Amino acid sequence: MCRLCSGVTALTLFDLVKRSMRKNIKHYYLYFFALILSVVLYFVFATLQHDAAVAAQGTGTMGAAFQVAGILLVFIAGIFIVYANAIFLKRRSREIGLYQLIGLTKRAVARLLIIENMLLGIMALIVGIAAGMLVSRVFLLLLMKLIGYEAFIEVSFSTAAVIQTFFVFLAIFVLTTIQMVFTVYRNSLLSLFNSEKQGQHPRKPKTAASAILALLGIGLIAFGYWLSGRMLNAMIFFNMLAVLATVILGTYLIFRVTISWLLYRIRRSKNGHLGLANSLSLAPLMHRMKSNANSLTIITVLSAMTLTMTAAAYSLYYSTEQETQAIMPFDFMFENEAGLADDISQELDDNGISYQREAVETFVVPAEFEEKPAPFLERATDIALFSSEQLQQAGLDVDVPENGEASFHDVSVATLFNSVTLPFDLTLQDEGATTLSITEIAQQNVLNWSFFTSQIVVNEETYQSLKAQLASETGDAALQQMDGFHIAEEDMAAASAIYQQDKYKVSEPHVDYYSSYDGSIQSNGLLIFIAGFLGLVFLISTGSILYFKQMTEAEQEKQSYATLRQLGFTVKDIMRGIVRKQAFVFGLPLAIGLAHSIFAIQAASFLFRTDILFPASVAMGVYALIYLVFAVLAVGYYKKTVKAAL
Amino acid sequence: MTTENKTITPKTSKQTVLQAHNVRKSFGARGNVQQVLKGIDLRVAEGEFVGIMGASGAGKTTLLNVLATIDRSTEGTILIDGVDISKMKDSELSAFRRNQLGFIFQDYNLLDTLTVKENILLPVSLGKMKKQEAEAQFQSIAKILDIEALADKYPHEISGGQKQRTSAARALINQPSLVFADEPTGALDSKSASSLLRTMAEVNKQQGVTIMMVTHDPLASSYCSRVVFLKDGNVYSELYKGDKTRQAFFQEILNVQAVLGGDSVDAL
Ligand SMILES: Nc1ncnc2c1ncn2[C@@H]1O[C@H](COP(=O)(O)OP(=O)(O)O)[C@@H](O)[C@H]1O
Ligand SMILES: [Mg+2]
Repeated sequence: MCRLCSGVTALTLFDLVKRSMRKNIKHYYLYFFALILSVVLYFVFATLQHDAAVAAQGTGTMGAAFQVAGILLVFIAGIFIVYANAIFLKRRSREIGLYQLIGLTKRAVARLLIIENMLLGIMALIVGIAAGMLVSRVFLLLLMKLIGYEAFIEVSFSTAAVIQTFFVFLAIFVLTTIQMVFTVYRNSLLSLFNSEKQGQHPRKPKTAASAILALLGIGLIAFGYWLSGRMLNAMIFFNMLAVLATVILGTYLIFRVTISWLLYRIRRSKNGHLGLANSLSLAPLMHRMKSNANSLTIITVLSAMTLTMTAAAYSLYYSTEQETQAIMPFDFMFENEAGLADDISQELDDNGISYQREAVETFVVPAEFEEKPAPFLERATDIALFSSEQLQQAGLDVDVPENGEASFHDVSVATLFNSVTLPFDLTLQDEGATTLSITEIAQQNVLNWSFFTSQIVVNEETYQSLKAQLASETGDAALQQMDGFHIAEEDMAAASAIYQQDKYKVSEPHVDYYSSYDGSIQSNGLLIFIAGFLGLVFLISTGSILYFKQMTEAEQEKQSYATLRQLGFTVKDIMRGIVRKQAFVFGLPLAIGLAHSIFAIQAASFLFRTDILFPASVAMGVYALIYLVFAVLAVGYYKKTVKAAL
Repeated sequence: MTTENKTITPKTSKQTVLQAHNVRKSFGARGNVQQVLKGIDLRVAEGEFVGIMGASGAGKTTLLNVLATIDRSTEGTILIDGVDISKMKDSELSAFRRNQLGFIFQDYNLLDTLTVKENILLPVSLGKMKKQEAEAQFQSIAKILDIEALADKYPHEISGGQKQRTSAARALINQPSLVFADEPTGALDSKSASSLLRTMAEVNKQQGVTIMMVTHDPLASSYCSRVVFLKDGNVYSELYKGDKTRQAFFQEILNVQAVLGGDSVDAL
């Protein structure tokens, strides 16, 4: 009898679970989607990390970069899944409460959830790894293309990647399980039943205090932006920390106080005549601002970091060729090694490689700037003098300075002179203390230089008179004979191989344009790939989180939409207000994130000689576009909800 | 002309606000069709306070939704202020609801995120009413419903009775030709319920607002000027209050209800 009895309850219970699962299928989708997406992206990454072709191509930095990125990826995936699970659990809290109400113990409910979680996890792993295998080839091709590797490549199935993925998600599974157990054990039945309705009610802000904090938020960000343009001094490290701290704190205040304060003021000025669009945007936003402040701050700050990271990486990649050319105007060069230059000319001829050999003369003298040009530079420095006419003959694009004037060439420090007003004086440390007026800070070297000496270009007349005065037979000021080579584009690889033979290695560093460019494109290609990959993962995670949140809100507000439609508002009327809300929810973190990253990139622009407006805009544009997709999805979901409401 | 009209019996002298003829409504698809309304004929004149009574599941809400243009009838014609609503497009219906009708729901259906005043002013938000006019209208209605002091409160801060008054104010703000109320006292305690009903009867008398109220509570319907009884999707009978006292009318309603099906409708 009792056996039968429990059999009957078990059956009804099972029915209940089944019905509830069916009803919750939408919620499962969401969590399941988050799981699968994370598995796919992590697996792709692990596959690349273990790929033989990548390993073969990679130098030491490659492995390290992948490792650091991999750890970051685990963090992002972990946070994303835990967050999705939290939303999932919150939406199911009524169901969890129901199980307990009909007599299941907390233990049994927890077990039910864990089994369910395990099933979902295993399915996600299988689906995710399968999908990951399909797409990893695309990513590998992309990576190889970015680092300039052109041979045919095949993605090999990597057991190591599967195992690594498995363990990472096992760890995340443990986390979500703890989260579930916590939800079941720590919440009272009542709070489980009410958690769907949660949402604080906007309080009337304490006018004076919140006005001060609201303005402080704006002030902190403005100060951070201002300081970011003036960081380059002896306190640079402190400045960077100050910028970071003020901007992050300012962002938090903006979301926590400023926006609520502004919205409150707007609302109060309406005196109850809010209008439909505001009732559907301003009012619910105020309602949820407090609970959303933290996540919006995090999303904004991380968006800004991701944007900065990808924009900077893409700018580096984009300007690799220009940068290398600026450092090395010749494909390769010999210093005072006319014999070797003759040898290599012979060898190039033998190999049918056409080249231009140019002779340039220089000598080095000590000099002193009129005043310290930049915080990191000393007044006293060694300079190498060149004749502009000679350089022109050698095929370089330089202007001929006036008598007594000079142009300054040193890419390693050029950007530090950005804030220096021209012209300024440079005094040579000779007996007569000749003074040259620097009228131009050039953005490229006139010589491949193997040691750190700034290059000064004067006209032929000035050069000859200085040479007669200062150049010596031996010693520091000895005249140096340079032999620079220009090679045609198609022969660069072959010429580089010849130059890199041991017999030509007489001085360190033994660098040529081609191999230097090749090395840069590899490291920058890897950088943009990893930055782009992480950026994409991050973007999808934050976009999904905002989207999930909006889905939840849409469901919570369903009754309001039903009411409004009963009162005679059309779907179109209602959607106008909802679109306004979405523009705010998605647009604000994006806009503030963009503003932050623009200032960050600008602050870091001294790292770039080339104009990075284009690559940075492209990176930011792509980011904004993908973000927009999530906003459109959210609006679509709202539309469906509003339509179904009546 | 006017004086002549006044001499005719009051029942027909008033203009017809709502005229329903042979209204039918079925739910469900082929094979599993459930006919809830089986041909209802109903006429509501201006200034009436009509109660619709019936057992739970009798189709009261369905009838109200159909008459209120929230749902479409399967068959039949419905004229409101002489306009045939069954021929209107959805967007026209929405505009019609917004401009001509008022609604009071059992669960108040206030927007949690809006204050009392914002909730009340919601229906005029897309209309042509000027702000000053809306403000004046709000002040006078809030005064009648005794919720002036609550204007800046949120729904969670006020009692059920106050919520329902807010909901009533929202229904009246647009000066509708007809107000629909579905079990407005269903979630209220008896004191708030009778207070609300008194106010509704007062608004009906003094402002001349036509009200149609669905209820299963005989006490609530005793405030009406006429009560229509539904049974199995048909109009079973009608009672007019006339000059009777409310107590007498209440007794009459109880009598009909007893015939209609047991002494307590709630028991169903
Ligand atoms: N949307 C619907 N779909 C199917 N059946 C419905 C729907 N709405 C109401 N019904 C059915 O119509 C009948 C009358 O419902 P209703 O009008 O709500 O009754 P009342 O308000 O009198 O209690 C009930 O049997 C109910 O199941
Ligand atoms: Mg009903």
